[in-house]
Amino acid sequence: MNQPELIVQLQQGDESAFKKLVDEWQDMVYNTALSIVQDEDDADDITQDVFIQVYQSVSSFKGESKFSTWLYRITVNRALDHEKKKKTKKRFAFVQSIFRNNDEEQVQPAEFNHPGVQLEKKESAAELFNALKRIPDKQRIAFTLHKLEGQSYQEVAEIMNTSLYAVESLIARSKTNLKKILSGYYEKNISEQ
Amino acid sequence: MNKKEQISKLIDEALASVESLSRAEAKPFLLTRIQARMTKETESVWEKAGWFITRPAVAFSGLCMIILINLAVIVFKGTTDTAGSTEQVAQSSTDEFSYTVATIYDTENTQP
Repeated sequence: MNQPELIVQLQQGDESAFKKLVDEWQDMVYNTALSIVQDEDDADDITQDVFIQVYQSVSSFKGESKFSTWLYRITVNRALDHEKKKKTKKRFAFVQSIFRNNDEEQVQPAEFNHPGVQLEKKESAAELFNALKRIPDKQRIAFTLHKLEGQSYQEVAEIMNTSLYAVESLIARSKTNLKKILSGYYEKNISEQ
Repeated sequence: MNKKEQISKLIDEALASVESLSRAEAKPFLLTRIQARMTKETESVWEKAGWFITRPAVAFSGLCMIILINLAVIVFKGTTDTAGSTEQVAQSSTDEFSYTVATIYDTENTQP
């Protein structure tokens, strides 16, 4: 079954078409979400949210863009929303902890290890993912889609609904910022050793 | 190798570490979990509605509203009936005494 047929069947509420869609795209959605939120459970929740949203709103898909572009857009937006909610919760928990005045230790998130990274590169990749958390959202999304999802600049521009020039600029700036952050980190680490 | 070169090498390694990254696979039984969540969400809408309706304040307000609507219907129906009967009396007297206006057309046009 080709993609337009699958979409038509989905729009008619066909459950087997939905199963095919999930089978085909689940890893792409999960990997994108995981690269953004850097937490396996959160990425799993986002993946479920994305497919539920697709099922509920596939009738609004007009086919003006590629289906994968639409799916990437939903995934990125969901992941960013999820991060915002998580940050708000953290802030609220922090305020609560001040007023409670208890001695409970704050749980620090563990270092993120992407399951797709080769074993010998795990340490370097963990530093890169840590640095990725500290650059602006747009730069992070452009870098993630291009480097981790292997999307071309043109595809990234379509997903982010921006120009090719803007994507080139975002990726260049993301690399500069990542280098700065990593440089600071390594300088500190080398001098400590 | 001096410190600067060492840092530069480490940065390049970090940036290149994701070049040959393979896609992370979603956890198994994703479809089952999605379907379960969709069913749960549908159920929870009804559960929420049920919980809202059975709240004492809502239930009492609803009961009061029903009583008020019933009372209003009884009162207004009574008023409407009085107006209706007046109209009926007027109509019957019109029929009885033939108040209708006779025109020249009526005398000429004998056919109904």
